[in-house]
Amino acid sequence: MKRSSVLRGLALAAIVLGALAAVVGSPRANGSGVDVAALARDVETEQDHVTAIELARWIRDRKPGLRIIDVRDSAEFEDYHIPGAERMPVKSVVKAAFKPSETIVMYSGGGAHAAQAWVILRARGERHVFFLRGGVAEWLDEVMNPQIPANLSREARVDADSVGALSRYFGGVPRRVDSAVPVPAFKATVARVRGRGC
Amino acid sequence: MIAPFFDSGAFSETASIGVALVIGIAFGWFLERSGMGSARKLAGQFYLRDLTVFKVMFTAIITAMLGVFWLGRFGVLDVDRIFVPETWLVPQLVGGLVFGAGFAISGLCPGTSCVAAATGRIDGVSVVAGMFAGVLGTGLLYSKLQGFYLSTPRGTYTLTQLLNVSQGILVFVIVLVALAGFKVADMIESRAAGPVSQ
Repeated sequence: MKRSSVLRGLALAAIVLGALAAVVGSPRANGSGVDVAALARDVETEQDHVTAIELARWIRDRKPGLRIIDVRDSAEFEDYHIPGAERMPVKSVVKAAFKPSETIVMYSGGGAHAAQAWVILRARGERHVFFLRGGVAEWLDEVMNPQIPANLSREARVDADSVGALSRYFGGVPRRVDSAVPVPAFKATVARVRGRGC
Repeated sequence: MIAPFFDSGAFSETASIGVALVIGIAFGWFLERSGMGSARKLAGQFYLRDLTVFKVMFTAIITAMLGVFWLGRFGVLDVDRIFVPETWLVPQLVGGLVFGAGFAISGLCPGTSCVAAATGRIDGVSVVAGMFAGVLGTGLLYSKLQGFYLSTPRGTYTLTQLLNVSQGILVFVIVLVALAGFKVADMIESRAAGPVSQ
């Protein structure tokens, strides 16, 4: 066979295989495109959620493309929400169009509803999606009203000071645990928001 | 048995080293036999005299791409277990420029420099030595470089996310681009004197 006809045959094979690929779309045997193993891996390696402190740093550092979504009902949202958050019920979240450049952080009261929305969004193919692990409760405890022990090693003190500074950035009140501190400013909010559903 | 074999535990660590050795020897053999150990041949690409490197690279890319896609589709390969390196936009752009400059100046890239060194070419030996010196230097200066090294992170960011198309369509487009590229490369080469001999 002549070299040119071999080359032409190979080129044709590549075009046919490529065109068929375009028709079937997904290189996965089940064809659904839902990558269950990858979701499980993200959960196991804890890449599915952020902590309240991480989220607070993202907000303070103005992380590009950050969108914070509150999936609770409007009364809860009006009562208290994380700065910069937008309210979007779960049924709208799963239909919303997000840009690939956006990082989505969802939160609910506790964490369960946001985690369920996370699974749906990841199954829909969104990549940069997280949920706030402990929900609003964690935000209030760790960012707005963190407990900072008084007797700390020097390294732990540096960490605690950075958490304290972060808290004050959001208008929070860090508490020295063993010193006499006046009633925390957010105690009322904590009591109100606490004990509500997921 | 479903590939990738090492990741799914079908190979032990020792066996995987043995497999890597066999694949490495085959890789080196074919690089040398296709003339890639010659800096003159590689440099010919930058003067638009000899586009063998481009053709070999893109042949490898579309062969591997179609292979991965269809092996995945037929359930032989679990595409979600394939490691996708993360993107750090600016450091990788700068790294690409340094790499390209080194490639054009020496006429060798990392793989071909090893092949050239193995065949006793002195330029190959000096490029390999320079490469290890660069790796060592980066390691020693890492604490100073870290801020830049980890800047503009995009996570695992792929063309399908950027263009928002299915993997199958992207495969087809890359096949067409490669084949058009081969045609253009042939035209450029026939206008010049023709491929550089080893």
